Amino acid sequence: MKTIILNGNPVEAEENTTVLTCAQKAGVRIPTLCYHKMLSAYSGCRVCLVEVSHRESKAPPRLMPACSTIIDDNMVVDTESETVKKARVFIIELMLSRCPDSEVIRRMAEEYGVFSGENDDVVRDYLLNRAPRVKETNCVLCGLCVRVCAEITERHALSFETRGVQRVVTSPFRKVASKCIGCGSCAYVCPTKTITVEEAE
Amino acid sequence: MKLKPEDLDKITERMRSSTALREGACRAKITVHMGTCGIATGARGILKAFLAKKEENRADDVLVTTSGCAGLCSHEPMATIQLEGEPPVKYAELTEEKVGRIFDEHVMGRKMVKELALAIGNERII
Amino acid sequence: MASQYRMNLMVCTGTGCVSNKSLNIIDALNREIEANGLAEEVQVIPTGCNGFCANGPIIVVHPEEIFYQLVSEEDIPLLVEEHLLKGRPVQKLMYTPPETKNPVPTMSEIGFFKKQMLIVLSNRGIIDPENIDEYIARGGYKGAAKALTEMTPEQIIEEIKASGLRGRGGAGFPTGKKWEFCRNAKGDEKYIICNCDEGDPGAFMDRSVMESDPHEVLEGMVIGARAIGAKHGFIYLRDEYPLALERVLKAIDQATEYGLLGEDILGTGFDFTISVNRGAGAFVCGEETSLIGSLEGMVPEPRTRPPYPAVSGYKGSPTNINNVETWGNVPHIIARGAKWFSGIGTETSKGTKVFSLVGKVNNTGLVEVPMGIKLREIIYDIGGGIPDNKKLKAVQTGGPSGGCIPASLLDIPVDYESLKEIGSIMGSGGMIVMDEETCMVEVARYFLSFTLGESCGKCSPCREGTYHMHTILENITKGKGREEDIELLEKMGTLIKQTALCGLGNTAPNPVLTTIKHFRDEYEAHIRDKKCPAKVCKALITYTISKEKCTGCTLCAKNCPSKVITGERKAVHVIDQSGCIKCGICKSVCRFDAVEVE
Repeated sequence: MKTIILNGNPVEAEENTTVLTCAQKAGVRIPTLCYHKMLSAYSGCRVCLVEVSHRESKAPPRLMPACSTIIDDNMVVDTESETVKKARVFIIELMLSRCPDSEVIRRMAEEYGVFSGENDDVVRDYLLNRAPRVKETNCVLCGLCVRVCAEITERHALSFETRGVQRVVTSPFRKVASKCIGCGSCAYVCPTKTITVEEAE
Repeated sequence: MKLKPEDLDKITERMRSSTALREGACRAKITVHMGTCGIATGARGILKAFLAKKEENRADDVLVTTSGCAGLCSHEPMATIQLEGEPPVKYAELTEEKVGRIFDEHVMGRKMVKELALAIGNERII
Repeated sequence: MASQYRMNLMVCTGTGCVSNKSLNIIDALNREIEANGLAEEVQVIPTGCNGFCANGPIIVVHPEEIFYQLVSEEDIPLLVEEHLLKGRPVQKLMYTPPETKNPVPTMSEIGFFKKQMLIVLSNRGIIDPENIDEYIARGGYKGAAKALTEMTPEQIIEEIKASGLRGRGGAGFPTGKKWEFCRNAKGDEKYIICNCDEGDPGAFMDRSVMESDPHEVLEGMVIGARAIGAKHGFIYLRDEYPLALERVLKAIDQATEYGLLGEDILGTGFDFTISVNRGAGAFVCGEETSLIGSLEGMVPEPRTRPPYPAVSGYKGSPTNINNVETWGNVPHIIARGAKWFSGIGTETSKGTKVFSLVGKVNNTGLVEVPMGIKLREIIYDIGGGIPDNKKLKAVQTGGPSGGCIPASLLDIPVDYESLKEIGSIMGSGGMIVMDEETCMVEVARYFLSFTLGESCGKCSPCREGTYHMHTILENITKGKGREEDIELLEKMGTLIKQTALCGLGNTAPNPVLTTIKHFRDEYEAHIRDKKCPAKVCKALITYTISKEKCTGCTLCAKNCPSKVITGERKAVHVIDQSGCIKCGICKSVCRFDAVEVE
């Protein structure tokens, strides 16, 4: 068993537990987007960043993804510090700028005060009111679909293509994947409901 | 061939002449003067004779090099021998036999061949 | 064949000189030497990069150490006859410094080489990189022999720790400590990796080391493998480096042949093999976890650290990654001792650093300097100053992850801490010199366009954030900047640095943040006055023809690609602004300096 200090309180959990799981058990809410308990951690969306430091180390606290950071004795985790809140809001704003009409992102933005906070913030003003949209899609590139297809159904019928802002999720050669069994898992896990299942003829 | 640690030194030894050449590290330097006058009187043969003597003696720490006319065209072919820490010595009107003696006595034996020497010391310093 | 040559001609066959036809020069030399009956006396040796790339192809003639530059095939008959036959060095092929008119005959007298201190590059230009005997003759593999026969793995690690060697790939983590983590990590199989995925624009240090002295890297890896307990190592080599690939493969073959790699190395019972993996061209592979992913056959994407590769790396086994230059330092430290090494450099940064000096500087090329040297010395003493007597504006270090250092800070010592303090980084060694005609906003935009294109797209702050910052910068350079854009860039840049997953994203905003810090007035000029002070940003400049100076020679009108310059012969010409594409050709062809830019 390992004990961490979570928002000032000692919390005990089994070895190899992630900060996220530990926090969930302790009733501390950390938002997630690319995380699913059945799948491997990806740490891509960065919305679950929390501040982590060690009591025995002089190193300043670092922002770490709760979904993949393994707990250790003497670990000090803060999920609500000013730095965490600012980082979290920034990530949500980036997502909102990417897919302004996604329901799940809007709900998240509401919960974390993106709409109700100060309106004179230049980053928020830019991302919400001025920034051009990166791509006309609600896909947030969380990769849940890719991982469910690889890890649960073991079909590997979906993957990422190209890099950076050009990145998209697609089937091999952008054709109907012969390996796809039409199970619909990808559509099921998609947080922004960008994947739909169609009946083939 | 698989090497043992001591083989590294053997290779170093075998390569010493080219290492010495490139690092400019030498005990003696032989300069054969190769102006048009020198070449016309057979400096090429003199140069080859020095190289052959160097090879024969496996004198890896002796540099054989060339330079232009030494100015005394009537006394060509000429060569300058400089041992480390000593002033250069010029030899004139060389022949292959003279080269053999100069190499054996002056370069290897560290004793200048007085009767063949033309002048000691000059304006050049290695 | 004569074993006693009187003369060695070292011809540079680094990528720079090869592309300037140095291979043809070697052929021509051998032809002429044969024709003059000199084949038994004179040897031509292809060597690795000499560093003075701007002046290639380069030949150095030993024993006199005469330095010839910008040599062409046509020069060879003269060179052979004059220098090789008659012993008269050819003045017209020597280096002549711009400030004097006297050619400098020998290499060590040339300013570019004088202030350099060579450890990693100590064999450059002196050995044939394709001949292992030449490496051994210069003391090569002595360090490995010492490590394998006289030292325990712990002693090797202690020696490296005591030397103070820090990672030369950019971050500067202490190498000995890194090795110790990996040695102490649990695991039956351990691996070491040499990172040669050099991707920074304008950087070519690793390529050059691999091309000019591949055995040095192999030897470093043998020592490291012994210290860590690895049986296999990988060299992750950028595929854009075909010559480095060829040479390192040859070197591995020769070392294996000699029993310096493979089973029972030097008869000590230690086994270690190396394989080369060709990278497929993703900048993010320079990041160690992405590199490991790529080695495993996956798409290169970084993953969260910890666990660090020292604990869980290649296929989940403990893995140690060092950059080419770091490995290159290792044999020297073991052979000559930690004390010798730690005597060079500053308190916190020991040894030397290799930089590729490029941009607006007279002597571009590869330089190795002791840590703690002043930037001014690198740029003026070694680099020979700025061309055309222009003023230095800034120096960019660390590539897209680094920052711009203004001319006012030229006297800071070059070490890890000092560079970090002023917002830049040591980086892997790219050093780009910028003169007064460089627009710093455009520089920031350029570097960001690079990271934008190279971001893998896994984490949102790097993927989306660099896109937004790039858009904002592009708007500023087009005259569409808003007053609050500077604050916006600063805030967004800071947030991206904090939240991105890997080193690429953590450092991507640096060029923007440092240019704002040191050149805020240029940003303000673009935004407030809609002016580009360096006259680079096309949207913010206009070309006009001076009524006083124009002679009506018609040259500008003839050369204008858009055909928007009109005017009668011997009458003042006029540019129609609506069609001007601001290419600047009119200005460059005008002989009367009549074209003005505002």
